Amino acid sequence: MNKTRLEQLSNLLNAPVVPKVLSAAEWESEGGRKHPDIGDFIDFHNVCRIITGLNGRQLEVIEIVSSLTSIEKQLLAWAIKQNNSRSISDASELEKQARGLGEWIEESLVSGQWRAEIPDSIELRNRLLDGMIPFLLQSEHVEEKEPGYNELEKTIRTFISDDTLLIPLKEHEWLILTTDRVLSEIETDGEEVPDSEETKEILSSLAEGLYDLVTGEWGGECHVAAGEPFIPAESLVRLVGTLRETVFLGRKFHVGMHVHLPWLVHLERLLSGIPEQVRSRFVEEMMGRPDLFTDPETISTLDAFFSMDCNVSETAKKLYIHRNTLLYRLDKIKHEAGLDVRSF
Amino acid sequence: MAGVRLENVYKKYAGTDKASVTDFTLDIQDKEFLVLVGPSGCGKSTTLRMIAGLEEISEGKLYIGDRVVNDVAPKDRDIAMVFQSYALYPHMNVYQNMAFGLKLRKFRKDEIDRRVREAARTLEIEHLLDRKPKALSGGQRQRVALGRAIVREPQVFLMDEPLSNLDAKLRTQMRANISKLMKRLETTCIYVTHDQTEAMTMGDRIVVMKDGYIQQSATPEVLYNNPVNLFVAGFIGAPAMNFLTGQLVEEGGAVRFKATGVNVEVPAGKAQLLRSKGYIGREIIVGVRPEDFHEEPVFIEASPNSIINATIEVSENLGHEMFLYLAGLGKDNVIARVDGRAGVRENQNIKLAIDMNKIHLFDKETELNILETK
Repeated sequence: MNKTRLEQLSNLLNAPVVPKVLSAAEWESEGGRKHPDIGDFIDFHNVCRIITGLNGRQLEVIEIVSSLTSIEKQLLAWAIKQNNSRSISDASELEKQARGLGEWIEESLVSGQWRAEIPDSIELRNRLLDGMIPFLLQSEHVEEKEPGYNELEKTIRTFISDDTLLIPLKEHEWLILTTDRVLSEIETDGEEVPDSEETKEILSSLAEGLYDLVTGEWGGECHVAAGEPFIPAESLVRLVGTLRETVFLGRKFHVGMHVHLPWLVHLERLLSGIPEQVRSRFVEEMMGRPDLFTDPETISTLDAFFSMDCNVSETAKKLYIHRNTLLYRLDKIKHEAGLDVRSF
Repeated sequence: MAGVRLENVYKKYAGTDKASVTDFTLDIQDKEFLVLVGPSGCGKSTTLRMIAGLEEISEGKLYIGDRVVNDVAPKDRDIAMVFQSYALYPHMNVYQNMAFGLKLRKFRKDEIDRRVREAARTLEIEHLLDRKPKALSGGQRQRVALGRAIVREPQVFLMDEPLSNLDAKLRTQMRANISKLMKRLETTCIYVTHDQTEAMTMGDRIVVMKDGYIQQSATPEVLYNNPVNLFVAGFIGAPAMNFLTGQLVEEGGAVRFKATGVNVEVPAGKAQLLRSKGYIGREIIVGVRPEDFHEEPVFIEASPNSIINATIEVSENLGHEMFLYLAGLGKDNVIARVDGRAGVRENQNIKLAIDMNKIHLFDKETELNILETK
């Protein structure tokens, strides 16, 4: 529920209305149903909580700090359900099919069936038998500024190819599958089919273009991951899992970057697998304190410095900072950590 | 065409107490070429991104023309952006790259064709229209990115360091091209750069920012000659203005400025102002631009009250001019810009005269320009 609607509801009820996210387990522990649905409500210490949306295992809830009457609660639950069902019934046929596929992917991921084959009941299955290029798009738009399915689908089709599918996954997350023929349309160095390195370069440029397109049209932040060409019917769930992990790792280890590529986060995946406690202990043992390299500025500085092969001038240029500012930051790291990143 | 107005705009990111942009109020005139300049992290790109609609405005109002656009999506703001990473679409040729924005907005094919070809002619890239981005040089790609913006015929152009990816020679050339182009198109342009040479050569007006605040908004000439504070004085100009901390004393009816290695007379007009503001006997900071040191004998002879003696530690001869790094004046190195044919060398003692009519005086506590403060 967006900010404006929350304010309207708060004025209507003359009580504070706060959005919250709860897990299904928390909902159940507070007296909710084991299989919660939109419109379900519970009373908890003179606070009424109503589910407004489902997002995988997470529940979007509004918390009304007031004792509502039974009729008020039922009316509110009814209105929320109507709003939800209307948006689904208004959807186009393609959107419904895409949502169906998205839900199946999500369920397979949640239940750990990463190698699940697309069942015949999924109507879009026949469109997933040829080679395609996958992109995962995660946006952070506020609800009122988020593009609708049709608008986004049309824009992306115009951008890449008419042979493109937009599949909503979770809220603010879409899988984009486009024909791999796009690759052969791009001139390569005399070869008909680009080699692996060229393919990766093209995919990176396409993902950058997609990022620019989405932010340029609707603003806000978004993250894009691109995968290598594959046949969706064979490994769609696993692919989505990989791309989602890539965005997670990219955001965690490459602060400030918006395009993330699975072939560039191998080491990050390995590091991420180390439990937090073990990592903190390692840092503490090596540096004497556990809180080093935690601020985004230090991380992005080091990231740029290493990616430019420790070249001070090039790094300063990349970061648009003065050379002396960079040297100051590197000296600060040396002073705090006792490590001179300029000489290994 | 339209102007842009920002009224008390703030940008605060979640989880931080400090605003990235604070109380930003600015009226950008229709057809004006405005440059936002400042060091890394000063908030210039954030401001531009708020105008573009890429960042939410936390507080305040943004107008494009007469319309408040705080909640309008970027695509509906009638702006065109050129950013430092001009991501041309690799699967489209130059023509398609330029036409894409119009195609998305369902322009008629003949209108798209007209606009693309006209922009290509303006940018002298007609012969490249069939090429894919991969087959273009850096400068050509940059021109295509500009072309993509031009075909939109927007009310406002927004450019964020569009020349950063180019080498120095191409940057100089493109700098002039963009200036010429914007004058021809007669469209409002807001241009972000960290390069003060770009700012000084391109802008009708420059806004200098630091720590999210506007420091000064003025024409290049005013910024250079009348900086309002120490920051602007040090930021604009290369090599930077020299700062000397010293004391003002009244001697024989004149006001003198005394610092390490410096004992010069302040001109009567400035001295009167300093007296009236109660600065006599106090420490102030004097700013001297490198070119306001003179080694010409005629100037030295005519300026007996502003002579200094220093040792040349390092000299950099650029041919037409020379930078002298002088020791013995104030606490830091002082740089003087003299004629390339001055015939001086390192470790030599040199006599110079300061053009005292051009010095800048700053309050040591507030760092404000004493002459500019009422």
